[in-house]
This record gives sequence, C-alpha cells and structure tokens, in this order.
Amino acid sequence: MSGVGPVEPGEGTHVRDAPSAPRPRRGPLERYFEQHRRAVLGALLISAVLAGSGYLHATRPRPESPPAPPHPSQVTTVAYLNPQAVDVETDPRSFSFGVEVTVESDPPVTVTRISQPYAGLSVTSDPRTPFRTKAGSPRKIMITMRVTECGKVPRNVGLPFLDVTLRNTHAIQMHSFILGPRYAQDLSHALQVACSNDFR
Amino acid sequence: MRQRSLIAITAALAAGALTLTACGSRDDDGGGSDSGNGGTTVVIGVDAPLTGDLSALGLGIKNSVDLAAKTANKEKYVEGVTFKIEALDDQGQASVGQQNATKLVANDDVLGVVGPLNSSVGEAMQKVFDTAKLVEVSPANTNPALTQGVNWQKEKVRPYKSYFRTATTDAIQGPFAAQYVYNDAKKKKVFVIDDKKTYGAGLAATFTEEFKKLGGKVVGTEHINPESKDFSAVATKVKNSGADVVYYGGEYPQAGPLSKQIKEAGAKIPLVGGDGIYSADFIKLAGAAGTGDLATSVGAPVEELPSAKEFVANYKAAGYKEAYEAYGGYSYDSAWAIIEAVKKVVEDNDGKLPDDARAKVVDAMQNVSFDGVTGKVSFDEFGDATNKQLTVYSVKDGAWGTVKSGTFTG
Repeated sequence: MSGVGPVEPGEGTHVRDAPSAPRPRRGPLERYFEQHRRAVLGALLISAVLAGSGYLHATRPRPESPPAPPHPSQVTTVAYLNPQAVDVETDPRSFSFGVEVTVESDPPVTVTRISQPYAGLSVTSDPRTPFRTKAGSPRKIMITMRVTECGKVPRNVGLPFLDVTLRNTHAIQMHSFILGPRYAQDLSHALQVACSNDFR
Repeated sequence: MRQRSLIAITAALAAGALTLTACGSRDDDGGGSDSGNGGTTVVIGVDAPLTGDLSALGLGIKNSVDLAAKTANKEKYVEGVTFKIEALDDQGQASVGQQNATKLVANDDVLGVVGPLNSSVGEAMQKVFDTAKLVEVSPANTNPALTQGVNWQKEKVRPYKSYFRTATTDAIQGPFAAQYVYNDAKKKKVFVIDDKKTYGAGLAATFTEEFKKLGGKVVGTEHINPESKDFSAVATKVKNSGADVVYYGGEYPQAGPLSKQIKEAGAKIPLVGGDGIYSADFIKLAGAAGTGDLATSVGAPVEELPSAKEFVANYKAAGYKEAYEAYGGYSYDSAWAIIEAVKKVVEDNDGKLPDDARAKVVDAMQNVSFDGVTGKVSFDEFGDATNKQLTVYSVKDGAWGTVKSGTFTG
C-alpha cells in the first residue's frame, strides 16, 4: 500500500484523553457568555428578527398619500342674490340681503365669521356663524346689516365686499368676496334709506 | 448583385413615398407647417419686453409660454401637432409691439400670440391681430378699455373679438386696492402719482375714484416721466402734502426709486401700487426703505394653488435662468388656452388644421375652459377672464408677503 490514507490505530494505540492544557484566563463578559450561552444567543436571534421586521415594515410599499385638501378660499364662492324684505317699522336702520355660499369640492367648509369693512355698520347672518357648507349643497344665507353711525358709512362705493373667514381641514383664511355692481347699487340704496333724515 | 438591386428598389419606393407625403401635407393647411415627422408645427407667438427695465417680467412670460409648449409636445396633447414658440421683444414700446404684431401675422404658422405685458403696447397691437383674425391672449394687460371699450364705465362694448386676457382688470384692481388702503390699512389721505401711460394712469384713476367714494381725501396728484429716475421734486411735494399713503400707477423701474426718494425726503409713509410693481426688482430698487410698501396683484398667492405648485416645480425643473415673476402662471395659462383652442379646431376637422385655422381658433377660444395654473380658465363675453382674484402683498424682510386675497363674484 502506498499512499497516505488514514492510518488505523493499532492495538494498544487507542487515543487516550490527553491531559487538558491549562485554560487561558477569561474576562467577565466571556465568563458570562459561557454561563448563559443559550440565553444570549436567543436574545441575539430575537433582536435580529425584530430588526429585520422593523426594516421590512418601514420600507413596505405604501399607497401614495392623498394630496392635501385645497385652501378653503379656492373652493368657496359667496355670490350676491338679492335684497330681502325686512320690517322697517321694527328697525329702520337695518336692511337684509341674501348670498349663496357654494363649495366646489370636499372637504366641507365652515364659515366662522362674516364681517364688512365699514366702521358705521354691523353685520349678522342667518344662520349664525359658524355654519358648515358641503360640496354640492349650496346654502342661502341672509345677511342683515345695521347702521350704527351714518357718518361712517360710504354711500356710493363701487366695489364693496364682505370679509368671510373660512375654515376646512387644511387651513383657516380670511377672504374678501367682492359681490359686484348689483350689490354695490343695492347697498348704496339701502344705506341712503337707512340714513335718510327720517330718523337722524 | 441581387442585394444591390433590392436596396435600389427600396430607396426608390421610400423617396416616392416621402415626396407624396410632402405634397399632401400642405394642401389643406390653414396655418402650421410640416414638422418633418409627419405632423404639423404650430407656432405660438410671444410679445413681451425681453430687454430693458421690464425684462424681468417679460422673460418670465416668455419662459412660461415655452414651458406650456414643451409640456403639450411631451404629452402629445394635440395629436399630430408640435408647438413651437417665436418670441419677439417689444421693449415696452407700443410702436415696437405693433411692428412685432405685423411680423407675427406674416408667419402663417402662428395661430395664437401670448402677450404683451403693457396695456399701452396691447392697445397698439389689437387691431393688427384682429384684422388678421389672429388670437391674442394677454397674461398681464389690466386696462379695462382693452376688452370693454373706452367708455367701459358707462357702457361696455367689446372692441376686438380676437383679444382675450387671463389677468383681472383694473376696474377691479383699483377699487380693491382703495378698499384695502382705506378700510384695512386705515389710510385716509393719499397722494396719487402716475406715469401717464395707459396702464398707470388708468389704474390710478380707478383707485382714486373708489378711495374718494369711501371718504378718503386726495391731498395731491403728480405725473412722473418714466424716462427719469430723479423724483426728488415729487418726493418733496409728497412730504409737504401731509399724505399718509402714496398710490402709484405705474411699473417697478420707476416705483422702486420713487419709494426710496419719498422716504429720503422725510415722508415715512407706504407706497402702494398695482401688479406693475409686484416684482422682486421693486424691492431691490426701493432698498430697505421699501419695507411696508404694498402691491395688489392679479390672482391668488401661489402657495394656495396646488396647480401653481406643480407649475413652479416644472418651471424649476426646466432650468430657466430667469424667475417666472408676477405673470408666469397667467402666461402658461394663456398659452395653454391657445393650445386648447388649437386642439378643438384640429379635432373638429378630422385631425387636421382647416384652411381658416386662425379664425376657427378665435371662435374656439371663446369657449375654452380648463383647470389651469391660476384656477379655472375661461373667458366672458368681453374676452376677460372669468376667474377674478386679487391679492394684497406687502414688503417684509426683503420679500413680498401675502396680506389679503379677494375674489370678484359679481
């Protein structure tokens, strides 16, 4: 036979346990690992699984987040309708008119305040603010103005406006609605009547 | 040998086919030309001040129209049509604008024009375009007479069927500014200055009328020479008048130095102007003294419009050197209105431009309606934009900041 195959041990040549070499000194961490090998390996495995799951969760494909809702002023219209009959006997300094609030698209818009810029006038609305308007369901609002000081109201302005505070889930904004020449004429007429000499 | 014969026959057939295609393409064209890839090229003309004092606004207009044309081509928005732009510089001069109008009319491929910036230039161009039935859409002209006739305050009569605009008019802008200045800013004594031009004088007039009706007092009026940069004499008059606000009808190249010189004269009062001063260049010219000055401008603030955000991002991505400025969105929408009108005309004519394409585009423009950068874009019976929004801006920390917006719903 030639070659270098494994040499079978002959009789009396059984391997005996060699006397163990002296153990090198171990640090406290290593000693701890030796004593708690199973627990440590288990903990490492659980950590790895958790980290992997976390990564997969964080990088999972997600549906695109929906675009932010529009600013309320970009979807809301306040349009002038017409003057409304009021009982002048009750309060000759008041006059009313209708406007229509329309919201073009969701989410709904809440009108939280209606005001006008002239010092000598106060404003109320029916329904009272705040009120909510949904897309596709225009609301008719009755605006009532009361002259508090005739000397501080403009009699013949060209493009008066209403200041309306609008709120939706995206923003709150104050916006001016310039209601046009018909509103300007009706307002001037109403102011002239309200501030006529009859009650001054 | 056999291979060579095959090549020769193929080449002959290809040449024949190309010749036939070329012959056929122009026969029924009322405008546009063969784009070389079997389609038609339609040119959108642009007229704006591309050089000189007002070039910041003009270049913003040109770039925005270019972006609209490129977007339409990329999306193949009009089947078989490739859009190109031809931009001409009017230098803010009415006479140059009129020459440009004649040049654009002479190019058969031009089926619509975006521009101009200045109302005075627009006035000079309208007739030339109208005679040629070539549609013109201005993103920036705000003088009411251009669409509603010179007697617009008494009786509105549309002078030219081919003229449209996407900007709101000064019939609204002037009173809107007056209401803000009197009611919100609580200014009661105004000194009114204008540059004697169609835009400036017209805007100052609509402002003044409303300010007086509100109970405000006009304590002085002056006209300046737009060629000058020395306004010290006017500034002294403002100082001595006791005014608590100055209203200026004109543009930023004069408004900036005017604001600075008024403050230097000792009148620490705000200068208020219209869309013509709503430019970053106004702030540069007015310097630190410009803080608190106000401008109204057409449209809603960009941050309120999702469509505008997309425009801003695309404009940036396109890599234009100059900012889109006050009229970028309106210019894009003006160009897109022309593209929509061309699309309608082509689709109504079996996918080809008809013989009288220009006239048909004018007709189609009247009914155009789409969601644009600045909101819903459509035109009323005078050719005015139906979307009438305005915003008050003020100079704060070296930039224009939004103060208040309004919508005309009358």
